[in-house]
Amino acid sequence: MITLDVNGQKYNLNTKPHDTLSDVLRDKLGLIGVRVSCSEGECGSCTVLIDGIPSTSCLMLANQLENKKITTIEGLGSPDNLHPIQQAFIEEQGFQCAFCTPGIILTAKQFLEENPNPTAEEVSFAMSGNICRCGAYPFIVKAVLNAAEKMRH
Amino acid sequence: MRTFFEYLRPKSLVEAISMKKKHGSLAYFWAGGTDLTLHWKQERCHPKYCIDLCYLNGLDEIKVLDDKISIGAKTSLWKIERSGHKHILLRTLSNIAKLMCTPQTRSIATIAGNICTASPAADLSPALMSMGAKIIVQGVNGQKVLPIEKFFKGVNETSLSKDEMVVEISIPISKSIVKAASYYRIDRTVVDIALVNSSTCISINKEGTILDSRIALGAVAPVVLQAQEASDILIGKSLNNVDENLINEVSQISREISKPITDIRAGENYRREMVAVMTKRSLLNTITQLKESII
Repeated sequence: MITLDVNGQKYNLNTKPHDTLSDVLRDKLGLIGVRVSCSEGECGSCTVLIDGIPSTSCLMLANQLENKKITTIEGLGSPDNLHPIQQAFIEEQGFQCAFCTPGIILTAKQFLEENPNPTAEEVSFAMSGNICRCGAYPFIVKAVLNAAEKMRH
Repeated sequence: MRTFFEYLRPKSLVEAISMKKKHGSLAYFWAGGTDLTLHWKQERCHPKYCIDLCYLNGLDEIKVLDDKISIGAKTSLWKIERSGHKHILLRTLSNIAKLMCTPQTRSIATIAGNICTASPAADLSPALMSMGAKIIVQGVNGQKVLPIEKFFKGVNETSLSKDEMVVEISIPISKSIVKAASYYRIDRTVVDIALVNSSTCISINKEGTILDSRIALGAVAPVVLQAQEASDILIGKSLNNVDENLINEVSQISREISKPITDIRAGENYRREMVAVMTKRSLLNTITQLKESII
């Protein structure tokens, strides 16, 4: 039995030693905003925040995350009260199929907290760990710059 | 088939090492797990026991002391990336960290994990070797200190015995010398590993005389190679007398020392030529850093 703190709520969970964090978040907690694509730490779609830092949940064992604060996209605003980054992604159409979007928004959140006034180049570098197979990159960069603006005000 | 392993959570370093001693090569120390979890998924390794190091306190600090920079084994690449303001050598390591994997894997990957994987194409290994880094190894009977060049034994092979663990990476520094390093690699894009890489590190005294110089070459042999015959040429020279001819000579000797192979990623001849180019760029950058820091 392990206890995980996910989106501000504590869960007691029966897990197997080899369960990855992404497995547990999706299969046990139903948090399917955690997307698993490559399952090898390359694509960034499974990104969650661990104590505020973006991390690939497909490479971490769930057992390793007790006493950490885990945030998934479900913990970041609601349909009635969107996070400024979510709002910016809608305004700029920073996605096409949106499979990669949860990971991208979580990566952007930590990045904008660390660098509130970035250049487009800095945004590109910061988002380089998130692959978008639709190729929406120019829109993603615009959306993150828009979100930066929103979050500064 | 994937093996299913037992999960062990030691509360102390001593307990972690005694677990490893008990289970030997069936047990793996698990920290960031960016290689291990992946290799387990791909059935490239078959652990029976996972010794989770995540709950051990400490081992994750970067300290700049009078005589050394100490980097705890569990320090993440993310933290190294953000340590550049602490020391000129950490600035170089920070720039290297930025080239490695992706931000969200850098946040969990550890420096000791990177070194213990012992990839000949690793990014940090040549830089640490050129800086003369020492690997502090904890065993059942205490600690030992290994120069990094004695640590690598082959592709994915280190000199660690089954009941030993890396606890710290230590880079010697001194108040009376200025020491700078640089690293260059040939790659194609982000999230790539080096086709060839070269790192150089030069130490000078207050008069600008070169006291020590090391070059390390990656992805051109089963282990990271020291090009000592090349770097020794610079020792005793005044920094101001290191001209383009001398740099070319050192780079060409480095090229001769390299033993690259042809594989799917690059040809032997191309790699050999690039050793000279990477070494030259690395030397020029190191010299620029030294000149800037003595002004």
